[in-house]
Amino acid sequence: MPLRSAPLPRMAGHLSFMRAQTKAICDVRPGDLAVLGIPFEDTSAPYAGQSLAPRALRETSVYFGWHANPQFSHPVDIDARQDIQTDGLHERLCDLGDISPGPEDAIHAALKLATNQISRNGACAVILGGSDRLSATVQSALSNCQTAQLGGTPRDAHDFHIAPLPNGCASTGKSDTAAQLTKLSQWRDASKPLFVRFDLSVFETSLSALCDRPRLGGCDLATVAQWLSALGQHEVSAIMLTGLNPNRPGMGVVKVGQRLMVTAFLAFIYARLGFGIDHPGRQTSEENIPT
Amino acid sequence: MTAAITTFHPPLSQPGFRLFDGPLRDVADTSADQIGVVGMPSDWTHSSRLGTRFGPDALRRATTLLQSMRPQGASFDPDTGRRTVPAIDWLVDCGDAEVTAQDVDATTQAIAAMTEGLTVAGAIPLALGGDHYNSFPACLGYSRGLTKRSPDARFGYIQIDGHLDFSDRLGAWGTHNHATNARRISELPNIDVSNMVWVGIAGWVDGGDLALIEKQGGRIFSASDVHKMGAAEVMRQALAHAMQGCDELYLSIDIDAMDAGYLPGTGSIVHSGITPRQYYDLLDGLAEAPLAGLDIVEVSPPLDPSERTEFLAAEMLFRILRRFRTRPVTGL
Repeated sequence: MPLRSAPLPRMAGHLSFMRAQTKAICDVRPGDLAVLGIPFEDTSAPYAGQSLAPRALRETSVYFGWHANPQFSHPVDIDARQDIQTDGLHERLCDLGDISPGPEDAIHAALKLATNQISRNGACAVILGGSDRLSATVQSALSNCQTAQLGGTPRDAHDFHIAPLPNGCASTGKSDTAAQLTKLSQWRDASKPLFVRFDLSVFETSLSALCDRPRLGGCDLATVAQWLSALGQHEVSAIMLTGLNPNRPGMGVVKVGQRLMVTAFLAFIYARLGFGIDHPGRQTSEENIPT
Repeated sequence: MTAAITTFHPPLSQPGFRLFDGPLRDVADTSADQIGVVGMPSDWTHSSRLGTRFGPDALRRATTLLQSMRPQGASFDPDTGRRTVPAIDWLVDCGDAEVTAQDVDATTQAIAAMTEGLTVAGAIPLALGGDHYNSFPACLGYSRGLTKRSPDARFGYIQIDGHLDFSDRLGAWGTHNHATNARRISELPNIDVSNMVWVGIAGWVDGGDLALIEKQGGRIFSASDVHKMGAAEVMRQALAHAMQGCDELYLSIDIDAMDAGYLPGTGSIVHSGITPRQYYDLLDGLAEAPLAGLDIVEVSPPLDPSERTEFLAAEMLFRILRRFRTRPVTGL
């Protein structure tokens, strides 16, 4: 069910993640993906601008708001030649808005409360951050959770570090991905909440351009999308997007970082909601020719 | 004592950049075996990130800085083992088409009139965008010119692009914009969709557009196909498909097929796109093609502070142009 009956110019209208419906947090239902922004400026970061990340991610995500635009039929992954039915996306993806700016303690408290409530409702919190300092707060909201980490700074040996580790450290990302996926399944304890940290630094730095902490030897888009798709098969309680700084000096007009991040993140959304997986009644593109 | 005076050689050429420093020439003064450059500084038909109106100037500036075809003398091209010949008379710059902001029809006709004139004269129109919509008026003029020059001739079409651009309409922009150019070209009288080929498509595309292309016999090679099959093989197959029953080829080069990590200065960036080396190899694959018209679009200098985008695009132009008027090295 599209949001509108007429096409909407990309930069017009109310801005929500992928043109999702907006909801109050109390209305979040089990199985929802609930998007929450944290425009938080980490004053210890090398460059100012992380607080602009949630808006930048939302702006880029509108490009992929297929379900909300009646002029499109349905997306097809051109590489896999696989149709992706997004009919249910509008019902299950929602945008709760941003946590209000304020004193840092208040932001931490609000984030913890929101994450906890979304989790208790049986939904997955999609937290659009800039600074990964707040990821500890999300972890504290999910008691006894397991953390899988793509990029960013490793904190705990018990976490599942996918790739890559900081410059100079050994990388787990270069080993065989299939073997790593098996390790993930073995590591995962389904009785505990799962938290995914997705930092822009997981990508090879020459691809991302807007990363606050660039990493050499990072992953390409296909590898990251593969990991996010695999993680999307699990019951994830929260996923946090960090590391994007749309205000890197001289690079403010280049939208490469947010586009890269949202493109990869689509794999998680589609996997989490069960799209892109063969199911009875799935139409092929051949059957969708507009008349 | 008069040495300073003798270095002055009037008349001076007109100030400003021309593509590869070629001479300025009116469309009416072009002839067969020439390439006529037409600037299309228009980005009103792009739906989001503007800036390609500065593309033609940026391309002209960047090409004058490439050493490959500078007028000071020929240079040796190690890839082809040939010397390139400066753009003295075979590559002429006809200036920019008159762009009327917010009037798509007027702009369309102005561009088409120039490329039609070049085609009728037997020259090859080379149009510099501008957003990708402008590819349609450039090809429209070529199509009209081809009809006048050879009424029964048909042309094949190859579009190197990150996107299909085959929508029938796009929201508030209607039927004539940067997402519909290939669809409008497919409706021209001397081309069939079965002779249209897309190369470098990345990510997610609209299922309806994809199905419509394939239903009518069009061929699509994704960026992934280029990675797997190799650029040379992809272009070999693309050319064979496009030229079935056709006499000439029209090529549309959208620079956004290149991965945004290399080339950020364009309105609609893609990731997991093709690399510069692959892009150049694709263009090299057209060395023997019966190229009769082409455009290069979506160079947006304001979106790339590093300016590398325009130099990558300039190199693309060199790759496609270097087969013209080259000669074997006879000894250095």
